[in-house]
Amino acid sequence: MTMPDDSLLSIEGLTVSYGAVEAVRGIDLTVRRGEIVTLLGANGAGKSSTLNALVGLAPRKAKRMVFAGTDLTGLPPETIVRRGMTLVPEGRRVFSSLTVEENLMLGGAKHAARGNPAQVKADMLERFPILAERLHQKAGSLSGGEQQMLAIGRALMSSPDLLLLDEPSLGLAPQVVDRIFDLIGNLRDRGLTILLVEQNVAQSLEIADRGYVLANGRVELQGSAEALRSSPEIQDAYLGA
Amino acid sequence: MKKSKLLLLSTAFVALASAPLMAEDLVIGLATAQTGGLAPYDQPNLAGLQMKIEEINAAGGIAGKFPIKTIIKDTRSDSAQTAMVAQELVDAGAQLIITPCDADPSIAAGMITQGAGIPAISFCATTPTLPLAVGDYMFSNYPADNVQAAMLAAHAIEAGYKTAYILTSPDTAYTLKLPQYFGQVFAAKGGSILGEGTFTMGQQDFGAEVTKIAAMDPKPDVIMTSAYEPDFPAFVRQLRGAGVTTPILGSDGIDSPTTFGLGDLVEGVVFSTAGHATAGSPLEAFNAKWREKTGAAPDTIYIANGYDLGNIIEAAVTAADSLDPAAIREGIANLENLQGVTGPITYKGTNGMPLRSVSLVRIKAGDRDLVIQGQPDPADIPAP
Amino acid sequence: MDIFLQQLLNALSLGGTYALLALGLAVVFSIIGLINFAHGELMTVTGYAVCFALIWGLPFPLAVIAGLAVAMTAAFLMERVAFRPVRGASGTTLLLTSFAVSAILRVLFQNLISARPIPVAIPASLSGVVTIGPLHLGMIQLISIIVTLAMLLGLNLFLHRTMAGRAMRAAAEDFAVLRLMGLRANSVVATAFAISGLLAGVAGVLWVAQRGSVDPLMGALPVLKAFIAAIIGGLGSLSGAVAGGFLLGFIEVILQAYLPESLLPYRDAFAILLVIAVLLFRPQGLLARKTLVKL
Ligand SMILES: Nc1ncnc2c1ncn2[C@@H]1O[C@H](COP(=O)(O)OP(=O)(O)OP(=O)(O)O)[C@@H](O)[C@H]1O
Ligand SMILES: [Mg+2]
Repeated sequence: MTMPDDSLLSIEGLTVSYGAVEAVRGIDLTVRRGEIVTLLGANGAGKSSTLNALVGLAPRKAKRMVFAGTDLTGLPPETIVRRGMTLVPEGRRVFSSLTVEENLMLGGAKHAARGNPAQVKADMLERFPILAERLHQKAGSLSGGEQQMLAIGRALMSSPDLLLLDEPSLGLAPQVVDRIFDLIGNLRDRGLTILLVEQNVAQSLEIADRGYVLANGRVELQGSAEALRSSPEIQDAYLGA
Repeated sequence: MKKSKLLLLSTAFVALASAPLMAEDLVIGLATAQTGGLAPYDQPNLAGLQMKIEEINAAGGIAGKFPIKTIIKDTRSDSAQTAMVAQELVDAGAQLIITPCDADPSIAAGMITQGAGIPAISFCATTPTLPLAVGDYMFSNYPADNVQAAMLAAHAIEAGYKTAYILTSPDTAYTLKLPQYFGQVFAAKGGSILGEGTFTMGQQDFGAEVTKIAAMDPKPDVIMTSAYEPDFPAFVRQLRGAGVTTPILGSDGIDSPTTFGLGDLVEGVVFSTAGHATAGSPLEAFNAKWREKTGAAPDTIYIANGYDLGNIIEAAVTAADSLDPAAIREGIANLENLQGVTGPITYKGTNGMPLRSVSLVRIKAGDRDLVIQGQPDPADIPAP
Repeated sequence: MDIFLQQLLNALSLGGTYALLALGLAVVFSIIGLINFAHGELMTVTGYAVCFALIWGLPFPLAVIAGLAVAMTAAFLMERVAFRPVRGASGTTLLLTSFAVSAILRVLFQNLISARPIPVAIPASLSGVVTIGPLHLGMIQLISIIVTLAMLLGLNLFLHRTMAGRAMRAAAEDFAVLRLMGLRANSVVATAFAISGLLAGVAGVLWVAQRGSVDPLMGALPVLKAFIAAIIGGLGSLSGAVAGGFLLGFIEVILQAYLPESLLPYRDAFAILLVIAVLLFRPQGLLARKTLVKL
């Protein structure tokens, strides 16, 4: 299979096993520059395992795993992140005993080469005025939505080329969810490529260009967002038509 | 009959070959510690004993006919391991077994050796009840706690002290009983004990204890303790640090280079020990010999003590003129006034804890100053 | 009253040493879940280093610096050689590994250096008495209080004002996510060990200064106390370790001071009972860290 020229991430035959549990069983996945690709599926389908495997946090095997021309095989998370792909993990996982500012600092600690940290931080605070207000507050004291903003902001501090988002809308109130989706669209408009894992199928397919549906660790369905939206399987299972 | 013929024959044969006579090895099993908490005591004793054994073997064995063979096994300072090792040594045919410098593992080993009818000697256990706990095949090789205590108490009275404070640790028999024996003798001789403090061994913190002593009214004339490293240095440092200048009596545990390295802190401290190298004494000669062999002066009396254990074995086997364990036991039990390098040693009439001379030494400008050397009045020695 | 104040100072001095030790354990535990029972041997290594440096003729302050450098290096090497290969293994595996490291080091000390304590020439100036009003304080006790406070302050500054320090705090919370920040796991762990080594080194110097000698088994008791202190405080919590250390020192000194003479031999039993009581009311320790999700 030849890789399309504009593909930023290209994966073939990715498997993830935790001991005897096989969470991902050989999936192929491509993300092109400037796209939002969404990864959908029921609980336990293997979505988080896939994202974690991409950044090197989950035990993985793959026939081929290339990001921006770099073979990811065997690279530890810190190296992968330094190459420009980062993950906002499920459940936000901000450093709650550190201040907002410290969380952001750590996000940008090792990425001076990828962008001017002061400039990046200034951009960030402009984009997230709420974080600017809470700069010296402990991250643990923020609301869920604010924490999600911080988690995304922290990831952006590394000026990534590809952002992996794991269920950013999880557990948030509807208005907040809308704001998060707005933000994601916004980021794409500014040139960021995004791989988005979501339970919120309707909204995801609305902003995504393409999508994959996982079930039991395998790709069950894939295609353009439009095609997926109108597919009977999705209609039945997720959109409750 | 047949056996003696064979013996005769082989003797003749060996004599022809001009090799040593019908040499029979005395097998000594060492169930002592190379590692763990007792290693600091067992290792130097072993080094001294080995020196004596080399000398004996160089001269063709004990009485020229019993060369010594040793089997050395590490007990790791663990009582259960000591008993196991003792059993292995008995099985390997040892005719005499040496046990660690502490009563507990020595008792554990003694249970085995007593049953097997093999004499056992502890390197330097000082607990006077050790032979009572095991039986008539158990001996030790060091002045017992009650003997040291009697010497110290007699000295305290002599020095005019009327009141004393004792500092004990329940962690070992030595740190608990020796000061208590001292208290008994001191009281019996007219002194009075104002109090007893305690410490935990190895803890090194005496702040609370020292504050109590500093607040005592009236203050004791003397403080007696058998604390040793690391507790003793920490104790004097903190005691003097609290401005208390009361004299201190200690026991043989503090006879170490560390104590002498404490400078002014220990000036005037008097302690009991197993030997003192006065000019022209056998101990001085031994120290010189050791220095010549190893290049360094012995840093502890335990080396000479181990050497004296070799002297005891030599004398006992010579007297027994046999390698039969029961005869060796008899030999040890009947030793009287054996001149060791640390002084005269007597087992005859004791239960297995030897009568040995005790030296009281005063620390003076970082050096030793002999106060008195000898054996206490038997009437003073408290029952174990 | 004066006596009580004096005892408080005693508690502060003892508790401070415990706090330094417990902190050394907690710094490592908080990041890789390892209770390093070889922490005591780091103290011993420091003691030997100071001792040999003095024998080679270095002045005392330089010998102390050499001792601290050796402690940090030893901690670093310990991680490299023994703990890195088992990183991420179960708590039991880690614990057994640290026991093994500790046992091996003790045997090496006994057989390569000496089974007997080696005297360390502590300068006479450290034997003095400081008198503050009615209170007497040994020079080393005073130094130990000052040094403890300075170390706590220094560590606090390091943790809050430097990137490496923030990374350590973050790692204690969520190591996996810290790696997502692009910070190398190995260097964060190495920093933790170096700090732990420094804390063990400082405690080791204070410990040796009290006793005037180094012996191969010297680290056994302190690491036990540190362990108890860290448990009281809540394993893995740095401020908990400090609180636990001071509390343990306080309990021990007050019991020693105020138990009747007939009960004194049972002091340690009472101390452990009080510790158990603390844990009954706060099973996770005084300042327990929230449990965290690990990837
Ligand atoms: N660390 C782990 N150890 C063992 N099994 C795991 C681990 N992480 C995930 N699994 C298992 O792998 C499977 C896939 O889990 P994963 O978290 O990838 O699913 P998911 O699609 O993200 O689900 P959700 O929508 O609930 O987040 C599940 O059966 C899960 O129990
Ligand atoms: Mg998930």
